[in-house]
Amino acid sequence: MAKIQRGAIYGGTELRKIESKLVIINMFQIIQNRKIWLSISSILVILSIVFVGAWGLDLGIEFTGGSLLEVKFNAERPANTDVAAALSDLDLGGEIVVQSTGAQNMLIRFQVIEEDTHQQIVSKLEELYPENIQEERFEAIGPAIGEELKTKAFEAIALVIIAIVLYVAWAFRKVSWPVKSWKYGVIAIIALVHDIVIVLGVFAILGKYFGVEVGLPFVAALLTILGYSVNDSIVVFDRIRENLGRLVKTNFESIVNRSVNETLSRSINTSVTTLIVLLMVFFFGGASIKFFVLALVIGILVGTYSSIFLASPLLVIFEKWKKK
Amino acid sequence: MQSTTKVRLTVAIILVLTVFLALFDFPQIVNKFNEKTGAEITLFDVAPFHLGLDLQGGTHLVYEADVSKIDEDDRGSAVDGVRDVIERRVNAFGVSEPVVQINKAQGKWRIIAELAGVSDVNEAIKMIGKTPLLEFKEENDTPARELTKEEAKELKDYNAKAKETASIAVSAARSGQEFSEVVVNFTENELQKETKGDLGWVLEKSPYAFLFEKAQSIQVGEVYPEPIENADGYHILKVNDFRESGEEVKANHLLICYAGATRCEQETTKEEALAKINELKEKITTDNFVELVKKNSTEPGAAELGGDLGWFTNGMMVAPFEEAVFAMEKGTISDVVETDFGYHLIFKEDTRPLVEYRLAEVFIDKMSESDILPPTDPWKDTGLSGTQLESAAVQFNQNTTIPMVAIKFDKEGADLFGELTDRNIGKQIAIFLDGQIISAPRVNTAIKDGEAVIEGDFTIPEAKELSQRLNAGALPVPIALVSQQTIGASLGNESLQRSLIAGLIGLILVMLFMIGYYRLPGLLAVGALFIYGIVLLFVFKAIPVTLTLAGIAGVILSIGMAVDANVLIFERLKEELKTGKALGSATDEAFKRAWSSIRDGNVSTLLTCVILIWFGSSMIKGFALTLGIGVMLSMFSAIVITKQLMRLTVGKNTKGRNLWWYGVKKNRK
Repeated sequence: MAKIQRGAIYGGTELRKIESKLVIINMFQIIQNRKIWLSISSILVILSIVFVGAWGLDLGIEFTGGSLLEVKFNAERPANTDVAAALSDLDLGGEIVVQSTGAQNMLIRFQVIEEDTHQQIVSKLEELYPENIQEERFEAIGPAIGEELKTKAFEAIALVIIAIVLYVAWAFRKVSWPVKSWKYGVIAIIALVHDIVIVLGVFAILGKYFGVEVGLPFVAALLTILGYSVNDSIVVFDRIRENLGRLVKTNFESIVNRSVNETLSRSINTSVTTLIVLLMVFFFGGASIKFFVLALVIGILVGTYSSIFLASPLLVIFEKWKKK
Repeated sequence: MQSTTKVRLTVAIILVLTVFLALFDFPQIVNKFNEKTGAEITLFDVAPFHLGLDLQGGTHLVYEADVSKIDEDDRGSAVDGVRDVIERRVNAFGVSEPVVQINKAQGKWRIIAELAGVSDVNEAIKMIGKTPLLEFKEENDTPARELTKEEAKELKDYNAKAKETASIAVSAARSGQEFSEVVVNFTENELQKETKGDLGWVLEKSPYAFLFEKAQSIQVGEVYPEPIENADGYHILKVNDFRESGEEVKANHLLICYAGATRCEQETTKEEALAKINELKEKITTDNFVELVKKNSTEPGAAELGGDLGWFTNGMMVAPFEEAVFAMEKGTISDVVETDFGYHLIFKEDTRPLVEYRLAEVFIDKMSESDILPPTDPWKDTGLSGTQLESAAVQFNQNTTIPMVAIKFDKEGADLFGELTDRNIGKQIAIFLDGQIISAPRVNTAIKDGEAVIEGDFTIPEAKELSQRLNAGALPVPIALVSQQTIGASLGNESLQRSLIAGLIGLILVMLFMIGYYRLPGLLAVGALFIYGIVLLFVFKAIPVTLTLAGIAGVILSIGMAVDANVLIFERLKEELKTGKALGSATDEAFKRAWSSIRDGNVSTLLTCVILIWFGSSMIKGFALTLGIGVMLSMFSAIVITKQLMRLTVGKNTKGRNLWWYGVKKNRK
């Protein structure tokens, strides 16, 4: 870390004397190497789009409609196939998916059923595994509600994006040189779309190979990542805004690189502290929020990356295009 | 820059406030203090934290209201009514602080019920979904309508013709024609053509009693000289055979029952009952039998009927009784006979042979008004229903101790009920529950005070449930359960415990990191985080915010945001210090410069939170609310609390301080 700090030794009165020369010592050449970072981002985004396109997400019953029964076995847990076979006698109108979860629990998924059928299932299981089984959770969500939630989730994400673009454009309204303020907003959005697409890609893989479903918590996680990603981008932009006001004669590329370097330790420290808490919850916390937390972890990692290696380089690229 | 005293005062106020709020968060501390010292500080006794369904267990039910039959304009109020009714039903079920909300989405009206800590969800669902429909009806004595002239003529003509046909058939049968031929020629009951009109062996007590009676007056092989008319039509009767099979008995009996015997309402023990009947047996004779029955028998109605059982045959009485009675001599009294009903003494009064006739008939159909008019309901509506109820309560019949439901009508209901009882004196009024008749009491006097009692075959829980449901009222529109989410208490609790501990470990690691990396400011930031945590918990309690698992994730994230604000400031401080600024001015500069980043970052998060709260789903709402509150407080924590704490350490004279404490390597001279 200390090595990074040395790059920021210029400042205050001392800096003002030498700013026209701007000797860059020990500063990371982030903007200069932008092709590498942009390539990495592009590859990740393309891969994610391919995964999501090919496999889609494993949507939870909140979105598709259906029933989910979680039971706990106090003693020995029977084989999944045994339970599935036992329930196949009951007319549950469709596929029954049985999945082990945690050390003692089992998730059973099927179509939406009436409360009476639910009771039939429970009593059947209690009959089969007396003194052993305990109902922990039951959810039955009608398909209409699922459709509505899906629409609402998209609406919410779209609304958040619009609100953030407007806010960023407003916050940077006085910074129109050399890049127009609304472009900061657009770049913030590109960065967050990048973050979200990669998180979606990871969950497409998790869904395909580990049966991880995305439900409402996942939408909440995505929306949080939106906020976090924009927050990260804004901190860097804020420093650029400040440096633009001070280092009038320096070229834009150097100012951006300098600003990224100056905020680098903040970006890393903030991510690290948040990640520490989230990782603790991921590894030791309750099973029900595990994947919610995982989405946040991935989002924050990607969000930190994009604020450093995507948003700022894009700003320079925008500026260069304008010149041409 | 503020003076040192002022800073110290501010910090002191912050600390005092923090301690005060901490006591609100954890009133257990005050309670312990009260216990030990006998003090009675109740200021901090506030409601505990609100835990969401996923943490304490419970069920989340979504109902869709069918408003298709209600005017567009009235739908809102109808659904409001549904919510009120559900709320009352849920309250009756004993759910603590249920949440019942209306949600209108895409033209659909939904009612969301969140029942925390419900153990029997199945029961709760039944309770909410049931629509008790209570109706009061009176006897329907008016026919649907009068017959028209044409119809009356048609009826008359048809029946005249039927009578004529029947007379021709009788003549034919009596003139020596084969009866089976007459059946085939004349009967209007297709089945009889196959059976040749045979009705089999007919007893006196049978649906053919009216034919049996006529059969007694003619000889075997004879046809009754005229058609026999009843409500259905005309019957041409022939007696094919006669026999005497077995015996009919006429008997009286005396019953002494005991507690536990079938249909017994006495409290005598079995031993007492046996002693009593043996004592009666000693003094009973054929002469005083009826008299003793009237005095002693426990059979309902014995005092009037004297235990008379009338004529009966084999198979009509319980086995031990029957065996005894058929084995007895006529005119004697039995020994004590034991049955499920108790102890009996039987007086066999008379016997007679059991007569059976083998009958055959030809049926000629007759038309009645009911064949022309639509069928009428035996009960008709009175306009009095459960909606005019004011209250219902369980009561017990003083004589039989059978539970019943006492109801009280409101003003309108009382008037209606008064009129209803007034015009139905001596007649029955029927009480219907959900379309089923549950009792039909006879009206003795007009009841003007609007109070009535429903007697049915209730058990105590049934009576309780009915009264609760009546109190809750009827649903104005039907509802259907479209979604349910039920979480067992143990699952939520386990998740909560584990997540809290994990979050706590994470927090401690973050604190260590902050202190290690930023040294003194890091330590101050940790202090500020503590205060932040206490204020946050206070806000959660004060609003109150319902804590869900997602909400706790929101808290954890907001802690990250709070740390971020501090990191931004301290990083800036380091930079400012490295430029050679004095500690005091560097601190002020750091806070000033970092503010715009903190503000912009947090505003975008707050915007997200507002949209999430609008998003509506309770789980996401919980998350957004805690995150939003957390973000606002974290700004406050970083900008106000950390700043004051920093100023306290910076003080006035800053030149001589060791900058290592602030994370800068070299101590500048």
